[in-house]
Amino acid sequence: MSTTLSSPPNLLAKSTGNVAGRKLKNIVMLTLCIIAAGLAILVLGLVLYFLLSKGFSSLHIRLFTQLPDNIDTSKGGMAQSIFGTLVLLGVSSAIGLPFGILGGIYQIEARGRFASLVRFFTDVLNGIPSIVIGIFAYAAVVFPLAQRTHGQGFSAYAGGFALGILMIPTVMRTTEEILRLVPFPLREASLGLGATRWRTMWSVVLPAARGGIITGVMLALARIAGETAPLLFTIFGNQLFATHKVAGVSVPTLTAPIDALPLRIYNYSQDVDPNHNAQAWAGAVVLITLILVLSIAARFATRGNMQEEK
Amino acid sequence: MHKSFTQTWKGAVLAALGLTLLGGASAQAQQINGAGATFPAPLYLKWFQEYKNATGAQVNYQAIGSGGGIKNITAHAVDFGASDAPMNAAEMAAAPGILHIPTVAGAVVVAYNVPGVGPGIHLTPAIIADIFLGKITKWNDSQITRLSPGIKFPSTSIFPVHRSDGSGTTNIFTTYLSEVSSEWGGADGPKSGKSVRWPNGLGGKGNAGVAQLIKQNEGGIGYIELSYAVTNVISYAAIRNAKGKFIYPSVNNTSDAAEGVTLPADFRKVITNTSSVTGYPITGFTFLLVYKNGTRPEVKKLLQWCLTTGQAGAAAQQYAPLPPSVKRRALAAVASMR
Repeated sequence: MSTTLSSPPNLLAKSTGNVAGRKLKNIVMLTLCIIAAGLAILVLGLVLYFLLSKGFSSLHIRLFTQLPDNIDTSKGGMAQSIFGTLVLLGVSSAIGLPFGILGGIYQIEARGRFASLVRFFTDVLNGIPSIVIGIFAYAAVVFPLAQRTHGQGFSAYAGGFALGILMIPTVMRTTEEILRLVPFPLREASLGLGATRWRTMWSVVLPAARGGIITGVMLALARIAGETAPLLFTIFGNQLFATHKVAGVSVPTLTAPIDALPLRIYNYSQDVDPNHNAQAWAGAVVLITLILVLSIAARFATRGNMQEEK
Repeated sequence: MHKSFTQTWKGAVLAALGLTLLGGASAQAQQINGAGATFPAPLYLKWFQEYKNATGAQVNYQAIGSGGGIKNITAHAVDFGASDAPMNAAEMAAAPGILHIPTVAGAVVVAYNVPGVGPGIHLTPAIIADIFLGKITKWNDSQITRLSPGIKFPSTSIFPVHRSDGSGTTNIFTTYLSEVSSEWGGADGPKSGKSVRWPNGLGGKGNAGVAQLIKQNEGGIGYIELSYAVTNVISYAAIRNAKGKFIYPSVNNTSDAAEGVTLPADFRKVITNTSSVTGYPITGFTFLLVYKNGTRPEVKKLLQWCLTTGQAGAAAQQYAPLPPSVKRRALAAVASMR
C-alpha cells in the first residue's frame, strides 16, 4: 500500500528534474509547427501573388462579357467558359448530390454489412484519378451518344456525369460524418413521439445537420470546379455559347459541347499567342476567386448552423 | 427552420430537374462541331467567325490535332473532322463513306530561334534531317554556316522541337524527310506518319505549342505552319528544293508547289518535294473530313462557303487557295454528299 502511495510523488519528482529538457523540447516542437504552418501559408500566398501579379492586369470586363475573338485575339473574352463552368457545376450537382447525400444517409441508417461495403467502395472511388473517370465518362456517355445521334456526344451532360461521380465520395463521406454528430437522443425523442423514421430524418436529423452537409457540398463543388482532366474527354470545348430557346428564353443546351474555365486556361496557356497567355492568367484568377467564394460560403454555412443550434 | 430547410431542398431539386429537362428538350443542337488539325486552325477560326457574321450559323472548331480529328469523326462524335494527313487504309476502313475535302494548301516552315540571327538562313534537306536526327548539334556547325556566308552563327546548341500529339503537320514534315533522306526513311529511321519515334528533342502540343517552345528556347528549331511563324514573328529558313533552288516559303511558292500535282480521285496525297522550280518543297493540302451520307445539310453549306467565298481570304492568312482544277473537283465532291 505504501509503495503505491509513494509512486506518484516519485514520478512527479522525476519529471520536475527534467523540466528544462521538456521546455526545450516544447520550444523546438512549437517552432517546427509554426514553421510548417508558415510554409503552408507561404505557398498559398505565393500562388495568389503570382496569379494576381500575372493575371490582374489582364482582368478586364471583356473577359466576362465577350466570346473569344479569333480575328483580333486581344479583344476577346471567355464569357462562354465562365458560363460553362457554372452550368457544369449545376449539372454535376444534379447528378452527384442525390447519390452522395442519400448514400450518406443510408450508411448511417442502415449500418449493415452492405453499408460498410458501400463505404469501402466510396473510399476506393475517392482514390481513382480524375482522368480515369474522364475516360470512363467518354466510354459510358460520349461514345454511345455519338453512335445514336451522329455529331453528338460531347456535352454538358457528359462533363456533369464525370464531375458528378467525382463529387459523390466527398459528399457521401461528409454527410455520413455530420449525421453521426447529430445526438441520438434527438432521434429517440422524435421516434418516441410517434414520428416515422422518414419523418425523423427529414424534419429532425437533416435540419440539424444542414450546415455540415452544405459544407460538404461546397467543398465538393470547389474540388470539381478546377478539374481539367475529366473535361478533356467529355465537354470538347466551345468558342461560343451553347444555348437554345425554350419559349423565347435562352437556356443552356446540355446536349451540346460546352466550355469550362480550366479547359480554356489549359488550352490558352499552351498557345503561342501572348494575348491568349494573358487571358489564361486572368482566367486562373477568375477560377480561383470562384473556388475561394465557394470555400468561404462553406464556412458561412457551418457558422450559421452553429449559431442556430445555440 | 424546418420549413426553410425543406424549401431550400425542394427548390434545389426542382431547379436541377428543370435544368435537366430543358437541356433534354433540344433534340438537335444548332451548332456545327468540328475538330482536328491545328495547321489550318488560324484560318478556320477566322473563316468560321466570318461565316457566323454572314449567315448566323454557329461553328465550333477545336484545334486538337489531325490525329484527334480523325478519331473523333470516326467515332461520329463531331460533325466534321480536319486533318492535313490523308487517312491511311486502316483509318479509312474504320470510317466507311468518309470524304476528304481539300480546303487550302499550306507550307510547313522550319522555324528557329538563334540569338542574333535573322530570318532566311539557308538549309538543305540533308541538314534538316541531320539536325532532327541529332547528328548536327551546334548552330555554328560548318555544314550550316557554309550555306549562309553572310550570317554570323553563335555556338548555341541546337534544340529540336517536334509535336507531341498526332499531327498532320508532322506527317507532311516526316513524309518530306523520308523522301529526301535515306537514313530518315530507312529501316532504322523514324520514317513518316502523324507521330514518329523522334530521336531527340522536346514535344509541343499543336502548332501553337511548338511555336511557343521555339520562341522560349534559345537555339530552338521546329516545324510549324507558315501562318504561325508569320503571326508570331518567328524566323524561318529558305530550303533547297528538288531543282536546287533555295526557296523562302510564301503563299506564292506554296501555290506553285500545289499547282504542279495531280491529286487522285479521293484527294489523298501529300505534295512534298515538288518538281516545280519555284515551288517550296514542304507543303500539303489540308482536308475537312465528312461522311458522304448522313452529314447534316448545314455542314454541306459550310463546306461550299469555304470552297468559294472563303478562298478569297486564305492568302491574307498565309494559306494558298486551291488551284482552280482542285477547287472544281472539291466542289463536285461536296455536291455528291447526301
